[in-house]
Amino acid sequence: MGRYLLKRLLISIPLLVLVSFCTFCLMQFSPLDPAEVVLQAQGVPQITPELVAQTKAELGMDKPFIVRYLDWLLSCLQLDFGHSYVTGKSVWSLLGPAFVNTLKLTLVSVAAILVLSVALGVICALQAGKRTDQAVRAVSFLLASLPPYLLAAILVWYFAVKLDWLPTSGMDSYKSYLLPVAVTTIGYAGIYFRMVRSAVLGNLHEEYVRYSRACGLPERKIMLHVIRNSLQVTTAVFCMAIPVILGGTVVVENVFAWPGLGTLSVKAIMSRDFPLIQAYVLVLAVAFILFNTVSDVLQAALNPKLREEL
Amino acid sequence: MKKAQAGWLWGAIVSLLVLAGCGNENAAPSEPEKQARELVMAVSKDIKDMNPHLYTGSMFAQGMLYESLVENTEAGIKPLLAESWEISGDGKVYTFHLRKNVTFHDGAPFNADAVKKNIEAVQHNAAKHSWIKLSTKIASCNVVDEHTVELVLTEPYYPTLVELSMTRPYVFVSPKNFIEGETKDGLNGYSGTGPYKLVEHKAEQSAVFEANEQYWGGAPAVKKITAKVLPAGETTYLALQKGEVNFAFTDDRGANNLDVEAMNQLEQSGKYQIVRSQPMNTNFLAANSSKKESPVHDRAVREALWYAMDRELISKQIFAGTEPPADTLFSSNVNYANVELKQREYAPEKAKQLLEEAGWLAEQAGGVRKKNGAVLAMKLYYDVNSSAQKTEAEWMQDQLKGIGIQLDLIGEESSSIASRRSSGDYDLLFNQTWGLAYDPQSTIAAFTSKSSYYYTTSGIAQAEELYKKINDVMVSTEEQARKSLYRDILNIVHEEAVFIPLTNGSVTIVAPKALQGISFKQTQYELPFERMSFATK
Repeated sequence: MGRYLLKRLLISIPLLVLVSFCTFCLMQFSPLDPAEVVLQAQGVPQITPELVAQTKAELGMDKPFIVRYLDWLLSCLQLDFGHSYVTGKSVWSLLGPAFVNTLKLTLVSVAAILVLSVALGVICALQAGKRTDQAVRAVSFLLASLPPYLLAAILVWYFAVKLDWLPTSGMDSYKSYLLPVAVTTIGYAGIYFRMVRSAVLGNLHEEYVRYSRACGLPERKIMLHVIRNSLQVTTAVFCMAIPVILGGTVVVENVFAWPGLGTLSVKAIMSRDFPLIQAYVLVLAVAFILFNTVSDVLQAALNPKLREEL
Repeated sequence: MKKAQAGWLWGAIVSLLVLAGCGNENAAPSEPEKQARELVMAVSKDIKDMNPHLYTGSMFAQGMLYESLVENTEAGIKPLLAESWEISGDGKVYTFHLRKNVTFHDGAPFNADAVKKNIEAVQHNAAKHSWIKLSTKIASCNVVDEHTVELVLTEPYYPTLVELSMTRPYVFVSPKNFIEGETKDGLNGYSGTGPYKLVEHKAEQSAVFEANEQYWGGAPAVKKITAKVLPAGETTYLALQKGEVNFAFTDDRGANNLDVEAMNQLEQSGKYQIVRSQPMNTNFLAANSSKKESPVHDRAVREALWYAMDRELISKQIFAGTEPPADTLFSSNVNYANVELKQREYAPEKAKQLLEEAGWLAEQAGGVRKKNGAVLAMKLYYDVNSSAQKTEAEWMQDQLKGIGIQLDLIGEESSSIASRRSSGDYDLLFNQTWGLAYDPQSTIAAFTSKSSYYYTTSGIAQAEELYKKINDVMVSTEEQARKSLYRDILNIVHEEAVFIPLTNGSVTIVAPKALQGISFKQTQYELPFERMSFATK
């Protein structure tokens, strides 16, 4: 296990370098002059060729492509991710709080998704083909196919304006979490509960279930085994849901004025704020690698067969 | 057992719905009560860096914190931090007598020394201020005594006072906030002399401003103003309905995301009033006259475009009458712009005739016109984030098709459009004049600038003459000469139809019914909050 983790960590380093290099290259393909875009993002009303040249020199954009990348990589290794081109603030002072805000939203959402998907999945599997199963599947299909901004607008209108229970937006108290979490949860749980349902259904037809029933084991106990075995399949999916949601909250953040990563990254991309974009890509890449590893470890914990392979 | 599980689920759903239904009556109305005396304003983006010597921050907020020497009003230039001033005979030396007993928010005195330090700090970063031509003309700024300061120019420059009145960069920050004697790399505080102080700023969330009780012009009546970041229009509308925010005004991008319909609904709810300013600027199409291979190089084509656009209908259908149709680049309430220009009404027949005369002929009725094998097709670039521009572009496409012009619509990010403008890589694009305080001088100065309208203006026959007149008008000291030069400049660009006007933009405010004293400044970017107050019950 220890060796496995070490291997994983070592593989992740070249992977991160590759990811950052790809981002760097992609930004080179943009037809716009990066210095000009940065100056526009700074709101400078009139951009003269002299100012562009001066800005290029200040930001080191006048150096050759590969030198700039190596410079960046070198300071990265010293844990210095630089300063935003647009605001001049350190990248961490911008990315840190946004990351924490999005992480909070993500973790609460994933917890809700987990509970809802497992509960609905198990119930639907047990009721497969009956009215409850059909109703849940129909409603979830409808809700999951609504575009998130529309769903969000409906929920805000009903719960915040009409009933006056919750704030429309912002991040002031625990109440602020309910609507954004609901929108995120509905979107993902509608997909994930189907996986749980089919996994449970698959397990119910396994030999061991029939055998246990034949032996007269109480149904409750049999269910525990079925659920535990079904969760194995879905663990990977749930673990990967964390980085997926972490990188996919743009719409929800926009509607609920949530000061998170989604909004920050879109703005950084629009203004070619290179140090910020690179740091954002790195954070997400690390999140993917981390949770992928966590998922492997969890699966191994649930399934002794896998443990030998690690 | 399976039955029991299903029953449990249904029970949970039903009880949730029941819960959602009740509890409504005892929702306390405390929130709106508490807010009744303060303004909570919806803004689409964070106020960002409040350093007024740079350009990232929101202008409305900088306008609350900082002040300039003089103020641009409807009645002309008036005293602000300077009580009076004299201009030397040669127009090169401006002597300002400063208002006494003015302090910055941090207690530091506002005096000649502070003025000198601020102006010098701006000049040390002159490359970023090239749009404001004054920045290229300042020779020195000298302290005469504690309350007298002298600004020396390299040559006479008539818009000096107008440019000193602008929200940035010539406004004053407490020298205690400077970092190593400079402002170009940031500030360690945001103390101005303005009517409001910044007391809290949560990045990307909110900013709180409190009345400056020591304000030299008297403490403002509205004691607290909170700017809340709401990027999405739907949320802004719902938050206004609920009363979480109670104030919004159109920014340069239009409406802080509220469309006309939403504003009308808010007004009908009875809780809000809608107040509109006079025309502040003009939305227009810039035509790239310098692009020789494009039909837009041909003056007849540009004139035909102008005649073929039904601006009345655009104003009525797209803006519900809130933006009146514009007939000229500057509306007549702009300084020096009240000149006689040829009216070009909506006349599609006239447009066809112009095209025929210029040799643009259609092979079959309803087809796209051609001339010497060149097709009468042009690309119009619009801002993808502006729904109004997209709709307008689609209307134009349809109207122009009727007279044999093919318009290809391309939506791009505003930054790509700006870089097209500065590299001349466009046929037509949407743009707007800068606003009353900046017009006509700043917009006209931009005619000669590569990053602005050089490509729009440089393809016309009288380009040389135009640029010479623009240069002359900025240094002219004679009011009569200036008037006649502006008349000529406006005539040339009007005749050449390089700026095709569409509508006049104005500022729209959504405010609580009880708010009084709502007025406007000479720009669409700031509001005089210090003049507002709540009606007493």
